[in-house]
Amino acid sequence: MLEENIYSALTAIVGAQNISRDPGILETYAYQWCNEVDNTLKGREPSRFGQRPEAVVLPGSTEEVQAIVRLCNEHDIKFKALSTGQGAWAGVTVPRAIQIDLRRMNRILEINARNMYAVIEPYVTNAELQAELVKYGLIHNAQGGGPQTSPLASHTSFVGPSFTSAHTGFSGRNLLGAEWVLPTGDIVRVGSYDYTGEWFSGDGPWFSLRGVFRGGYGAYGGLGVFTKCAIRLFSLPIPKDWKWEIKGAVPNYDWSLPPYWKMYVLNFADWDTFEKAFYEVNDQDMSMMAMASSAEGLATMFTNTKEAALENIFAGLLVRAQRYFVVMIAAHTQREFDYRAKVIQAILKKYGGQDLVEEGVVTPMPMHYAEGLRNSMGNHAFRFTSCFQSTHGGMDTISMSIKIGKVNQPIKQKYIEKHVIGDDRGEGIWITGYEGGHMAHLEVPTVYDPSSPESCRGYAYYQAECNQADITNALGIPFFIVGDAFHDSYGPSVMNYPRWLRKIKASFDPKGVSDAGHYVSSRPGESST
Amino acid sequence: MMDRCVRCSKCKFLDGILVKSKKYSQVCPSIQMYNLHAYSGGGRVIMANALYKGRIGFSDEMLDALYKCTNCGACEVTCKMYYDIEPNEIISEFRATAVESGVAPMPKHKKYIELVDRVHNPYGEEAEKRQAWLPKDVDVDEASQTLYFVGCTAAYRRQEIAEATARILNAAHEPFAILGSDESCCGSPVYRVGDRKRAIDIMKQNVERFKQQGIKRIVTSCSGCYNMLKVEYPRFVDFDFEVVHISQLIEKLLAKGKLKLANPVPLKVTYHDPCHLGRMSEPYEKWEGKLVEVLALVYMHDPPKPIRTGARGEYDAPRNVLRQIPGIELVEMERIREYAYCCGAGAGVKAAYPDFALSTAQNRLEEAESTGAQALVSCCPFCSTNFRDGIRERGSPLEFYDLTELVARSIGGGE
Repeated sequence: MLEENIYSALTAIVGAQNISRDPGILETYAYQWCNEVDNTLKGREPSRFGQRPEAVVLPGSTEEVQAIVRLCNEHDIKFKALSTGQGAWAGVTVPRAIQIDLRRMNRILEINARNMYAVIEPYVTNAELQAELVKYGLIHNAQGGGPQTSPLASHTSFVGPSFTSAHTGFSGRNLLGAEWVLPTGDIVRVGSYDYTGEWFSGDGPWFSLRGVFRGGYGAYGGLGVFTKCAIRLFSLPIPKDWKWEIKGAVPNYDWSLPPYWKMYVLNFADWDTFEKAFYEVNDQDMSMMAMASSAEGLATMFTNTKEAALENIFAGLLVRAQRYFVVMIAAHTQREFDYRAKVIQAILKKYGGQDLVEEGVVTPMPMHYAEGLRNSMGNHAFRFTSCFQSTHGGMDTISMSIKIGKVNQPIKQKYIEKHVIGDDRGEGIWITGYEGGHMAHLEVPTVYDPSSPESCRGYAYYQAECNQADITNALGIPFFIVGDAFHDSYGPSVMNYPRWLRKIKASFDPKGVSDAGHYVSSRPGESST
Repeated sequence: MMDRCVRCSKCKFLDGILVKSKKYSQVCPSIQMYNLHAYSGGGRVIMANALYKGRIGFSDEMLDALYKCTNCGACEVTCKMYYDIEPNEIISEFRATAVESGVAPMPKHKKYIELVDRVHNPYGEEAEKRQAWLPKDVDVDEASQTLYFVGCTAAYRRQEIAEATARILNAAHEPFAILGSDESCCGSPVYRVGDRKRAIDIMKQNVERFKQQGIKRIVTSCSGCYNMLKVEYPRFVDFDFEVVHISQLIEKLLAKGKLKLANPVPLKVTYHDPCHLGRMSEPYEKWEGKLVEVLALVYMHDPPKPIRTGARGEYDAPRNVLRQIPGIELVEMERIREYAYCCGAGAGVKAAYPDFALSTAQNRLEEAESTGAQALVSCCPFCSTNFRDGIRERGSPLEFYDLTELVARSIGGGE
């Protein structure tokens, strides 16, 4: 328990309304999705309750965050910040740690339409930002976590693929600047802001700290607190007088689909033709969406209930959909639309594919276009058992993504046969291209039952085996390389990078107060993971 | 079920595709006011889970988070879009457990429950004054099998609604009885704060009274009473009465030509969906069957189980009636129908936490003002009270009307 004088000092910073040390209140921060996986892999019961913080504080400004962090340094207390906070990595991992809940910092500070960037605070959500950006004909990369999650968290500290990645890239590449409260309490503004007052560039002057604090996958909140960031925006092809309108009732809504938008599901007989077609579609750089999944994924993608998804499966979707990817084109004019549609048809013809929409196998409704934009679509996978998580996660090439899918299939099948994870025949994947096909992200969504300890354990062991397969087969970065043990297992395959990571951690966090449980500690074995 | 919560925070917001602006993206008044995760639907599910697992006991702060909730059901609508969880149901059970454990309800709740016990209304008013609202020129038919169940708030605090309702029924030549001083609280304020045993006793007493009176159909002008009688009573007691909200009845009377809206009411209005008439009003349909594993770990109900999603609440009848009043222009707010933002008064909040109730009303009033409407209209005396308080506190230019008041004006006799 925190000493009274420390609790009083924290209260003085944020006010009595914005702090608690009540065990019941703190349990809502100890509980996190995927703690059951972490707990299993640490030899504990597969519970979603993890480490309970000593207190939770809700700062309202950067200055308050700074004061909290300085107090933590003074009294050797660890801290972890979260925004909407979904996932084990959002919680604290060690005793004598406090949770910094950034919910009160929720302003959109600037939308600079001309230079195409927005400056946001941590608790602005994807849906909120997009709702405002649409009024300017703009869009940002709203990561797959969903419309209720924080784009700041994704851009500064996490991975960040999305359903619109073919158009909007991934979050790490779109970060244009950040206000960063270092683990010491010093404030650094990264990128162009500090010398121009605008946030148009993530680099400069001269050098960039983006690679230091986030690199490919981010520090998962283990290297200070980000209190503002600027992110890159992209054009959204909608008419000037168009408005985001939704009609209907839950769960079947109708969206005001803009003109010149169309969704395709391009299906191919095998991986080889799929790969070639997927490269070409990405290379054309004309899609709002270009992503692949399994037939089971397709069943839930364009339906609105679990029952409807299952009906799709039982109606023969598994036979009709082989290797497919979904493409959404969105154009400003009829001519642009016609050109894009023509290119899609040409690629389809070249590789002998079929459009499953054209053939009536699946029917994307207007609301599914909206869900694609807002990144609600990934959440559909929760419908089967109220739970899924992804393994692998290599950010590499399209061909590497396909290779991972192939390597994964027999591993996954083994756990399906144990009846601990959902049965997608081992085919469950999700691939999206970035940056004209130069890069791609694959993850393997896997359904399990959160109310069954056997299923939680089974999923955890499956995830561990996937991580090992990534290392053994050089498949790229595993999805959950978090904490010392994982970094140390992966490091020898990749130039022993953890020793450099630890130098960064030691330099920026000399007292080790920024909870390293899902990042890396300055010395091996220091963190709890 | 509680282990299925993934702490995703969807329970705090409108479903992603329904968000049209940052300003009106939130759907839970409690988390919007108090910020700590415990004050969200998901937070309460986690606390209930921790209590159930024996990790924690009740504490004052926990009870504060549990009771600073209007039980409006918005979290349940947004959660069920993706998950098989019922946060609002869990909150109700959590409160019942708190009461059974002797740590709840809150002191203000205990006070009004004592009044309900003693004088059959939470305001402490005398039973004899219950029909003081009744004008001499309104016809009541004591022999009618249709009961106008006035409810405590319309009887004692929002008498204009009771009067307007009675005049509408008279104008349509729909005979109705009232229970007068024998009418008792429907039990809603008792039930919503978790005193389930006492609430069931009230339900039984009321049902007995309805039977003695030979009632077949019950008309309410209060969404809270409607919800209790339509949705909650059948869960706990034998209940064989038709329950109709006045907005539904007016819609039917208009369709049959039994009611004519002749007088213009020149007003630009926006409509607030009461939680208890809207998303919370879907009945619990009895289901007997089994769960069948149709794919590994994926279960379906056999036969299909009716799910309360909020889609089948009563949203259209009030709007259809409003649109038929000459001179009325209806404009909509951003958060409507199953995603309507609560008025802030329900589930014991108005009594125990008046500041919270008022703050929530002001949030909703700001949204109503943004439509350019001159008046906010709703269908619930309890919403009416809280909005009128909010308008006064805020100095809002909005007027507030219950739907019945506008209908009464249009058929004549309202002013």
